[in-house]
Amino acid sequence: MQKTSKYYWWFQVGGWGMLALLIILISVLAGQRVDQQFLVGLCLKILTGIFITHVFRTFIQRVNWLNLPVEKAFPRLALAVIIVCLLDTVVRISIIGWIYPITENKKLELSFTRFLLITVENGLYIIPWTLIYYFFHYIQKTRRQELDTLKLEALVRELELKTIKSHINPHFIFNALNSIRALIDENPLRARTAITELSNILRSSMQTEKQETVFFEKELNIVKDYLALEHIRFEDRLHVRYEIAENTLTQLIPPMMLQTLVENAIKHGISKQVSGGTVVIVSKMKDRYHQLVIRNTGRLNKSETEDGFGLTSTRNRLYLLFGEQANFNIREINENMVEAELHIPLI
Amino acid sequence: MIRAVIIDDERLARNELKKLLLEFPEIEIIAEAANANEGIEKIDSLNPDLIFLDIQMPGKTGFDMLAELDKAPDVIFTTAYDDYALKAFEVNALDYLLKPVEPRRLADALHKLHLEENRDREAGTEEDIAVNRSLLHETDQVFVKDGERCWFVKLTDIRLFESVGNYAKIYFSTHKPLILKSLNALEERLDEKVFFRANRKHIVNLRLIEKIEPYFNGGLLLELKGGEKIEVSRRQTVKFKEMMSL
Repeated sequence: MQKTSKYYWWFQVGGWGMLALLIILISVLAGQRVDQQFLVGLCLKILTGIFITHVFRTFIQRVNWLNLPVEKAFPRLALAVIIVCLLDTVVRISIIGWIYPITENKKLELSFTRFLLITVENGLYIIPWTLIYYFFHYIQKTRRQELDTLKLEALVRELELKTIKSHINPHFIFNALNSIRALIDENPLRARTAITELSNILRSSMQTEKQETVFFEKELNIVKDYLALEHIRFEDRLHVRYEIAENTLTQLIPPMMLQTLVENAIKHGISKQVSGGTVVIVSKMKDRYHQLVIRNTGRLNKSETEDGFGLTSTRNRLYLLFGEQANFNIREINENMVEAELHIPLI
Repeated sequence: MIRAVIIDDERLARNELKKLLLEFPEIEIIAEAANANEGIEKIDSLNPDLIFLDIQMPGKTGFDMLAELDKAPDVIFTTAYDDYALKAFEVNALDYLLKPVEPRRLADALHKLHLEENRDREAGTEEDIAVNRSLLHETDQVFVKDGERCWFVKLTDIRLFESVGNYAKIYFSTHKPLILKSLNALEERLDEKVFFRANRKHIVNLRLIEKIEPYFNGGLLLELKGGEKIEVSRRQTVKFKEMMSL
């Protein structure tokens, strides 16, 4: 705003000054007498012009017409221009009447025609002024929007890349592979299913980038595969409980979001507990939302909540997809239980 | 025969490693531990030559565990992923294996260990170790962790222990990390033939003294190889002269 107001005064004074010079030039070329009265009238015209358009600008800013779409702004501006022209006339005639109270007396008799004439003349200046003012801002606004869109796009891309990368934790993959290798001798059957589970996870995490949302059922199957693999690793240190409402299975949710949260629950919760713990996944309808709850044994590490990438990216993704309607929060429900909660609007 | 302990929170990972180690008859697995506390217990009671140590474990990490030991055995770290924590090491006097472990890498790591073992044997006599287990031998190594940084330090490389409140500052190479141990406790564990209590605040390594100068009041001023100047108190000067003059 600061910068534009600096330009504004340059344009305002420059524009009206040019107009004054132009009028003098034309008058001289046309052989009109350039006397004191002519100059006083001209000065008055310019000064009232600057004054009235400045008031007009303040008004436009106050009612915020510049941010309206073009088709709404134009009728309003047209009407306002007429009123401004009339006002300009009133102001000028009153000032002239005040400067030349006696000599101009006769002319006042012709007031209506003269009034109209001056108003039309004002229109010649004020209409271009309004157009210039409006389009100057219009162009600036579009340019700013373009810039914002570009920035937003870059941000979204960056986020996408990061979330995709963070989807599969390399630690998890190699630990799983190591467990599977040990299982090959110990329990070949389990080793075979484990390989299928790992394949499912890898496949789905590679497909994520293509879709904005997936059916909850699909996401849940990945999470089940994931937890089955973690169960091989943690054995009796990991207990899992599902409380899934049947009618939530066909809801749409962002892919890998539940997975990321469950991974967090394992990484920050279960894997830090010497005696292990429980992960509970709840999915149900609540009011007009699909509510997802992930509860795990452990404590909430404050520093991780603040800048943990998993949580920030979850919030950002929800916001990009659902705006203010979706909701995510994580908290300690007692001294040894952490609960993450997602509210996703029904689509 | 090398007596080894495997410390890893996953049973399957321990099994897998044991299976791989069957190929190496010189390694005898004497115990397993599923977390850091169990690990400390096993190390204290069995005094193994070597431990295979997982870094990410519940409760305490492998690093935390090592920092709690008075004397660190040889360590081979095992981790599932090229951990940033491993890069925190200043002196890489150790090896690490990525899980799933490649048999050839395991052979390399054990081979490297053999070479070092032999070198150490030549330096110190076997009977010394047998005499007193709780006394730290000159060739023993300690694991030092100060914040995010870790070091494996041979006692021979330590020039000076300095008392800082409840902590001791250890001087070696260009580093001086703090450890949570009192100077008196350290003195009890250190070999007095090598580590000398110069005054209330300092224990110096006699092998790393550069210069000895007389000091006022009948004391001495020692200059160490790292340039540190340590004053020997009058009472200790008598003892110092006795030791040095045979």
